[in-house]
Amino acid sequence: MMTGKEYRESIRRLKPEIYYLGEKIDNVADHPAFLPHVNAAALTYDMAQAPEFEELLTAKSHLTGQKINRFTHIHHSHDDLVKKVKMLRALGQQTGSCFQRCVGFDGLNSVYSITYDIDQKMGTDYHKRLVNVLKEIQSKDLMVSGAMTDVKGNRRLSPSQQKDPDLFVHVAEKKKDGIVVRGAKAHITGGVNSHGHLVMPTSAMKAEDADYAVAFYVPIDAPGVVHIFGRQTNDTRKCNCFMDQGNVDYGIVGGEALIIFDNVFIPWEHVFMCGEYEFAYELVERFATAHRQNYGGCKTGLADVLVGATYALSQVQGTDRASHIRDKLVEMAHLTETLYCCSIACSCQGYALPAGSYMADPLLANVTKLNVTRHVYEIARLAQDIAGGILATAPSELDWKDPKVGKYVEKYLKGVEGVPTETRLRLLRLIEGMTCGTALVESMHGAGSPQAQRIMIERQANLERKKRLAEKLAKIGEQPLLVC
Amino acid sequence: MAKKHRPYKVALKYCGSCNPRVDLSRIARHLKSVAAESGHFQLVPLSEDNINVVVILCGCPRACGNKEEVKARARLCLVTAGESLNGHPIPENELPSVVERELIKVLGSLD
Repeated sequence: MMTGKEYRESIRRLKPEIYYLGEKIDNVADHPAFLPHVNAAALTYDMAQAPEFEELLTAKSHLTGQKINRFTHIHHSHDDLVKKVKMLRALGQQTGSCFQRCVGFDGLNSVYSITYDIDQKMGTDYHKRLVNVLKEIQSKDLMVSGAMTDVKGNRRLSPSQQKDPDLFVHVAEKKKDGIVVRGAKAHITGGVNSHGHLVMPTSAMKAEDADYAVAFYVPIDAPGVVHIFGRQTNDTRKCNCFMDQGNVDYGIVGGEALIIFDNVFIPWEHVFMCGEYEFAYELVERFATAHRQNYGGCKTGLADVLVGATYALSQVQGTDRASHIRDKLVEMAHLTETLYCCSIACSCQGYALPAGSYMADPLLANVTKLNVTRHVYEIARLAQDIAGGILATAPSELDWKDPKVGKYVEKYLKGVEGVPTETRLRLLRLIEGMTCGTALVESMHGAGSPQAQRIMIERQANLERKKRLAEKLAKIGEQPLLVC
Repeated sequence: MAKKHRPYKVALKYCGSCNPRVDLSRIARHLKSVAAESGHFQLVPLSEDNINVVVILCGCPRACGNKEEVKARARLCLVTAGESLNGHPIPENELPSVVERELIKVLGSLD
């Protein structure tokens, strides 16, 4: 397993093509715009080495028997599924932000099981290829981004109906030794500071979309892979401020990028699906389930930090003894633990797939994520309520440090006696970063938008059986007397 | 007279620390300093052979670290689980010293 330091050195050696604010970026590992994301990812390596966390952050490879970072592991039990959630909460508590490695983790688990199923039906050898790549990922402890969401163009049209064929990633050419792919994937978390990308189809496909049913692994610096890093709320604070960043070390989100595949060659040994359109939906559902399972883990870790920051701020501002403040803090904790309950439940109700790997219960995983789209907003709303309007109006760190007006900021923004104004400002900035802007949108659309969860919940809800239960008790029609 | 087999080998095993209700590292730091000062025992990795006592540090009553394969690494074990030691309630601020006392007691039973 790598240490955080070794991870940083490993990405310094890579030469990916990355653009941000109109400039080409040559060194992601040390650039202030990317450093918080690199720091958060590095912690997934360092915590695996720490005795306090190794039980959660490490696992035994079912392929080699070696001790590996859990982010490269394939779940083989309920215990693995539960430990995943607990690991994410522990990491969220330490970073207060996204640590990025779960997407590739979920992608590997999904592709692992689906390649097995494809091979069983089609006689292909995708699973063997995936296992070979997985062994390398495990032994080198690589960070892999999961790239699923296509840019999609006109949402009314399927991939093959789009006027521009490149609006979904597709096979542009088949060669003897591999394929050439073209298209783009959006919102890719950890997209600029991973070692490689695991690319998967974005939705169900029909026969006419077969060229779009493609899954593959590609190193981040393969020729033709272009990354455009996304803007974040207050992102220039990373370059000219310290305290005003709030979460100084780890930032506010995972660091998302638009990844363009401009005629990228993928050797066959890195291709895991190529035209098997009938498996695209199942792959998407397994990935979505795995990823939605996470959100009551990582987001509860973040919420723990936010609850703590809000409580601390109420003490600094002298509102902590007011009954309505205590009640709101309790509500924040209640919502946090509700999300955690969901993630633990869907893990405990998970099951084995034909490949021998385990996945969480799809219905409960989707309920988890749908709750996140609401509860995280409510937790943030309560934090903002308790913090007060100063959350949006506090002077900058530069004015607080200014020789002329700094004394006014110090004097007039002070809270209770004995606590420096700086403490109040730091807490406000942390809460601002966690509740205002980009961070919240991640809870809405990360792992799929709310409607995507509703669709899956409807499919899994078994409304007909529920109707029969009601009809039996209401004596509607001929119903058996005994429970069955 | 000091026994030949001293210092005793003591291993610490954490549950995983997903959402600990007590500061487990405080207990570990305390035992480390006691080991250094007294020389009565030394802290060793769980993978080492002939461990005398394993102290399982769990952040909550779920006690995820309390597993047979961990306990089997030593003749004796102590289990903290949130604010408790071996099932007995202990306030968090007393946990380090109470764990120390109990550890010395069980090590004494080996003399």
